[in-house]
Order: sequence, then structure tokens, then C-alpha cells
Amino acid sequence: MDCGNGARARQHVFLLPEYLKDASKKMKSGLIFVKLVNPCSGEGTIYLFNMCQQQLFEIKVFKEKHHSWFINQSVQSGGLLHFATPMDPLFLLLHYLRKTGKEGKFQPLNQVVVDDMFPNCILLLKLPDLEKLLRHVTEEKEIDKKKYYKYSKEKTIKWLEKKVHQTVSALKINNINVSARVQANAFFSGDQVSSDKEEDYIRYAHGLISDYIPKELSDDLAKYLKLPETSASLPNPPSKKVKLSDEPVEAKEDYTKFNRKDLKTEKKNSKMTAAQKALAKVDKSGMKSIDSFFATKN
Amino acid sequence: MESSDEVAVEKCRVHLRPGTLRDAACATLHLLPCEVQVNGPAPVERFFTPAIRQGPDGLEVSFRGRRLRGEEVVVPPGLVGYVTVMEEKGEVPVGKDFSERSSNEDEREEQELAEPPEALERDFDQFIGATASFRRFTLWGLETIPGPDAKVRGALTWPSLAAAIHAQVPED
Repeated sequence: MDCGNGARARQHVFLLPEYLKDASKKMKSGLIFVKLVNPCSGEGTIYLFNMCQQQLFEIKVFKEKHHSWFINQSVQSGGLLHFATPMDPLFLLLHYLRKTGKEGKFQPLNQVVVDDMFPNCILLLKLPDLEKLLRHVTEEKEIDKKKYYKYSKEKTIKWLEKKVHQTVSALKINNINVSARVQANAFFSGDQVSSDKEEDYIRYAHGLISDYIPKELSDDLAKYLKLPETSASLPNPPSKKVKLSDEPVEAKEDYTKFNRKDLKTEKKNSKMTAAQKALAKVDKSGMKSIDSFFATKN
Repeated sequence: MESSDEVAVEKCRVHLRPGTLRDAACATLHLLPCEVQVNGPAPVERFFTPAIRQGPDGLEVSFRGRRLRGEEVVVPPGLVGYVTVMEEKGEVPVGKDFSERSSNEDEREEQELAEPPEALERDFDQFIGATASFRRFTLWGLETIPGPDAKVRGALTWPSLAAAIHAQVPED
């Protein structure tokens, strides 16, 4: 967050869930932006807490070169669009559980979620139904009515597998094209394409979930899901760095495809709402990182 | 107050004033396909708005002599757009208190049900408020309307996908 550097106040453009507006009637305070650890990268990232209804939101920023906003009678450089979407707090808790899990001991939660770098992590302990959530990823013990938890990798992987399948359903509903690249054999065998489809969805969903878990766990999950290792024809970038450098290449290919298509389909689509259009034709580049929804890397 | 600025940033909480979400007036937003390096007032109503025409395939306007084509983009269902501004820190306490607070003052009485703000607000925290809201904005492209592959459109599909990724999974 930048803290308003003087003369011109910086304006942020946000998309927030509508129910925050309704909920605001009853609250005087309780919507808080804080910096917490990013469970994938380990770096600091801004999250939004709704302390009244006890929800966690992640903040994603759409950022592309060469954009600016006109907001009423003002101009705002950058053209950033911030999204606040509900986040499963278990991804953040998992970061701490795995860290203390290495000690192999059962511990109370307030000794697990401790962070000198990001002291606001204690807000996580105020979220509701933590006990129920933690059952997905930990073994627990109760001594003198106090709960003690220990990270369980087996349970975590199973939980993540459910997340992947849940995401696959959403990808299908939203009609998001997940095929990484057109393969040569797609031209020759129709069967091949359809049988690969489910695996493409799983790989794509695995990539999305991997943005919320550390690399190590992502690799374990890939093995569990029996996703093939990186192969020549269908690269499944093993690390973020590879993904990033991979993106522009994929994007370029697709832009050319789309530009041609655009001209023909533009009129036909003009009856759909923008949202429908967006849903119907999202990126066809098979990018898996969430970043692909928000920013160009070149 | 923290001794080191960096520590303060990590510990800092930015409170979004809930009342401002309700009262934010509707704003007109345009997303331009170019970078204007300044933040500040601009006579949009004088130069830009009156030049917008309805062409055969969407809206047309020009900016700095370049032709732009655009269309209205609706905020995805379940979401509301807000423009927010960080409140100035205590440096100019008088200006802040009188300009920002006046509208909040009356609300305060309605909010007798205020939940205990215990420990949520600290004196080094900052505040942010919504100054305007929107349900749609105009997306502009240079010469052509940004296509279905435009990054913005991709980003607008994110909330529906995020909902699935973060929904609770059933217990065994």
C-alpha cells in the first residue's frame, strides 16, 4: 500500500463483494487491509479481513502496461484494477502448520501461528470454525479441553486433491480453455484430444492451486494426481520462473489467433454482455498461474 | 509508534471505513489504452465526454489526436466497483478532521450497534475510504475495441474461478 505521497492523493479502483456494502450498515470498523505472508512465495502480500463476518479476502491486481483511469473529473495513472475475492484461510494456516510440523509435535494453534515478520497473522486466529478447517490438514489431540494440532501431509494432499477437483468443475462451468497448446496429433486423431481433456483440466487446476501452496507441496500433489513430468510436447513448467518466461511466447501465439477471429466474431458477440463475453472467451493459452489473469509479464 | 519505518509498514493495518461503502456516489470511469503519467484533476467533462460518439460498432472518441474505440464493461455479478482514497496521515490534522469527517459524523449515531473495536485500531494505523462507486466502466482500445482476449476481460472472470478454488471442501 502506498501511503499517499503528498500533493495528489492516489485513487485505488477496487472490485469488492457486494455483501460488504450491506454488512457495512452494522459495522463501524472491521474491514482491515493487512500484510501477511503469501503461502506460495513466502513474501508479504496484502489481504483484506472482514472482522465482523470473519472472512478473509485476497487482493489481486490487474496491471497491464499502458493504461490509465479517468475517474470522474480526474486522471489516475497506472490503470490498476484491484479485486478482493474470498480466500480459504487454510492456505495461510498451512504455511504455519508446515513450518512447525517439522518439529513433529502437537501444538496449540496460538503457538503455531506466530510470525515476527507479519505480526498481523494473529488475526487469522479470530476466524470462525478454525477447528473444523484444521481437520482437513492436521491430526488433533484434546487435552484438558485444549486442542493441539500436528500437520499431516497425507491429509493435506487429500484435501488439495478435493480442491483440484472442485476447481476443475469451475473451469468447466466457466468454459475456460485449458489445453496448453495445440498438439500435432490433434490434427490427426480426434480421440486423442478428447481423452487428454480431463488431464488438461487437472493440470490447469493444479497450477491454480499451486499459487497458494509452496513448491514442495505442489510437486507432491502433482505426483499424487499422477500428472506427468515435464515432457517435450506439453511443458508443465515446474517452477514459477519457468512459467513466467513461458508466458509471452504462449500469449503471442494466441493474440494472432484472436485478432483474426475478433474481426469476424465481433458483431455476433455484440448482443452478449461484457461479462458473458469474458466468460465465454477467456485466454486460450493454457496458462496455469493465477497471474495470467492479472498481468502481462513482458 | 515504531522506531523503524519498515517495521511499521509490516505491522500497519489499513482500515477501510465501512460507512463510506454505503454512501459512495456513482462515478464515471474510463479505462484508457495509454499511460498518463500524472494523478490529479482533469477536465474530462470538458474535453473527453462531449467527444464520445456512438459509432456503428461501439463508442468512439479521440484522445491526444488518436482514435479510440470502446464499449461499456459491466462489473461481474456479486461485485461492486469502488474508488478509494487513503486518508492523509496526522500531518495535517485540522484539514483531515474537517473535510473527511463531516459526513461520517451523522452515521456514528446510527451505528450504536458498533462491535467492540478492541485492539483492531491502533494509533499508527491508516484509514482508507471509498469516494465513489460504479457498476460499469468504459473500456477503450486504440483504433479497435479491446478483443475478447484482452487481459482486463480475463481478469474479470477471476472472481467466479476464485470462488471455486476457495470454497470449503466437504469433509470425508
